[in-house]
Amino acid sequence: MFILMKKVNCIFIVDDDPITVFGIKKMLRSVTHCDDVQIFQNGHEAYEAIKERQEKGENIPDVIFLDINMPIMDGWGFLDELIDLDIDEHVVINMITSSIDPADHKKWNSFKDRCPHILNFKNKPIFKIEPADLGCINVAS
Amino acid sequence: MKAVERVDQFYLLKQLPKATALLCKKGIVQDASCSWLEIFGQSLQDKDHQTKIFSLYPEILDLEKKLKEYAPFSLKHKIKSSKGTRHLKSYFAPWFDEKENVIGTIVQTDDITSEVEKEQQIDWLNNVLETKVEVSKTGWWEYEVDKEKLTWCKETKRIHQVPECFEPTVIEALNFYKPGYSRNKASMLFHKVAVDHQPYDAKLMIVTFHDEERWVHITGKPIIENGKAVKVFGTIKDIHDEVMAETKVKENQQLLSTLVDSLPLNVYVKDLESRKILVNKGECNFLNKKAEQLIGKTDFDLYNEETAKIFREEDLQVMKHLTPIIGKETASTVRGKTVYFLTSKIPYFDLDGKVCGLIGMSLDITNIKKKEEQLRNLINITSMQNQKLISFAHIVSHNLRSHSANFSMLLGFLNSEKDPEERKRILKMLSQASDNLLETLENLNQVVDINIKTSETKTPLNLKNNVLKVLENLSDLLEENKSQVINNISENIEVNCVPAYLDSIILNLVSNAIKYKSPNREPLITINAVKSNEGIMLSISDNGLGINLDKYGDKIFGMYKTFHNRKDAKGFGLYLVRNQIEAMGGSITVQSEVDKGTTFNVYFNEES
Repeated sequence: MFILMKKVNCIFIVDDDPITVFGIKKMLRSVTHCDDVQIFQNGHEAYEAIKERQEKGENIPDVIFLDINMPIMDGWGFLDELIDLDIDEHVVINMITSSIDPADHKKWNSFKDRCPHILNFKNKPIFKIEPADLGCINVAS
Repeated sequence: MKAVERVDQFYLLKQLPKATALLCKKGIVQDASCSWLEIFGQSLQDKDHQTKIFSLYPEILDLEKKLKEYAPFSLKHKIKSSKGTRHLKSYFAPWFDEKENVIGTIVQTDDITSEVEKEQQIDWLNNVLETKVEVSKTGWWEYEVDKEKLTWCKETKRIHQVPECFEPTVIEALNFYKPGYSRNKASMLFHKVAVDHQPYDAKLMIVTFHDEERWVHITGKPIIENGKAVKVFGTIKDIHDEVMAETKVKENQQLLSTLVDSLPLNVYVKDLESRKILVNKGECNFLNKKAEQLIGKTDFDLYNEETAKIFREEDLQVMKHLTPIIGKETASTVRGKTVYFLTSKIPYFDLDGKVCGLIGMSLDITNIKKKEEQLRNLINITSMQNQKLISFAHIVSHNLRSHSANFSMLLGFLNSEKDPEERKRILKMLSQASDNLLETLENLNQVVDINIKTSETKTPLNLKNNVLKVLENLSDLLEENKSQVINNISENIEVNCVPAYLDSIILNLVSNAIKYKSPNREPLITINAVKSNEGIMLSISDNGLGINLDKYGDKIFGMYKTFHNRKDAKGFGLYLVRNQIEAMGGSITVQSEVDKGTTFNVYFNEES
């Protein structure tokens, strides 16, 4: 099994639930090594951070783990703002939610079409982070 | 001597004032008076010119035969000339000599033209009278007081349906009147006209010979000579059909007016100027006026200008374009009350088919409208509750799922984790997840409780006392944050509430005001209560952070929605408050401006 490993420079985890954050961080450790993993409580904080990085010409996150239900700015609100930021890179965004509401899945579909980034939808619980979640292509198996 | 005598005789004849002629046995005129000759246009007789009487009576064909009978007779004849027709009557008598031998005939002729003409005139007058009787169907009768003789004319007999030969007595005549009122009245009137000379004019009922009851119009008047009624003259006219028609019309009118008045509708008829020309009881009751006060009035006299204008427009549309308005819903305000009507207006045509106004009918549907509104409210409430139920189900499923997902994930880690330090950390996380789940379940339970116990008895609570009680409990928090509370609630306001809910509502709203205070200002909380027709409104205002309602408006009362970055914000308080107030039939609204403050208005439902 050959996995084309891409160097992941920066990962954002946007979730207000400390247990989920703990889980994602733990799972990340087993698939990649990344020095720049940032945690945000809500979409607004994450958006401000990306905007600041863009303005300063710093690294834009390669991968974002995004919760849907959050205070102040939820996952959808964050996506809206992110699209408006005009980022050249293709960010891999993993939407992680415990919602099984079909409306959320529908909303994800509509966002997938207009979002220039890669948008994955993952239902909790998750036990493992796949290489594809990090933007890696599985070339052979 | 004899001849002289004869001449004398003839000369005498000539001078007779009455037209006289002497004929010989052969019918030849022997001599005649001048007046006779003048009638027939003849000249004096001479021996050469002999006039036979027959030529003078060309119409009488058997004159010669009659003369030969030597018996007196008379006949009528006429002579036509340029001056007209002369009607004549000639008397023929045998002419005897001294020995009683017939020697000829004596003719005397009278001019009866004027009598004949008079006769003709009488005939004509009779004719006229008969025609009049026939056309007007008015018969006459006459009673000769002395002879006690009653005479009926043909028409009178016809009216009584008796044969023409019938000759009634007064008693018989009176017995034709219907027993009871008609007969009594007729007898009384007849007595009065004969005795008191009092003419009469009445409408009574007779029972005809053929047992038919018919209305008649009778008159009677005395003919008085020397202060005594010698005759009574009267007329009788069959007015049965007219009376019946009139009765029918009256009955129809009665039916129509009863119908129109008893209809559960307001009915009115307007003329071309939209003036009311007929109103029924319903319309009178609605406008609280008598019919006389409404007739001739327009809507401008009865409604406000705006409403009246609308009505007039409708009227014009109906009358100009002849398009009826059927079942249009209208609202009008009378004496401060809004009344809903289902109105129809149809053009009103006169007998010539020309529009002369309109007929309006309005059904008061205010009650139906009210019921409809109640029903709509009920549907709204039901669908709202249904919506709430669905959203609650989602909340439950989402919240429980997120906890169970955490458990699954953490347990997965624990299974494969060897490092004791890491295992400890995972276990700590697990117990935290368990605490979270318990708290969520508790919260959900609270909500379920509220929605189940909607029937929990509400009790009248003094609003001010309850607010003071909550403020007392929050005194530490208030002091800690240097908060100032202005309580403007007056002493005597009571609200119908479930006590625990009222406490919860006040507690949540006041503590929210402190929780989301502005970092730049010391909290100032103003509490007011307003009593209005719709009930009591409690408003709690702060000068805190405020919230962008354009952005979050629909979410502020949602479950687990938080909008400020605060550790203790759980997004549950307002959700609970809204559930509690709605469970009691009230409502809550919010006004807010970022960095200025927020006001929550709580409306209590006073119905228990």
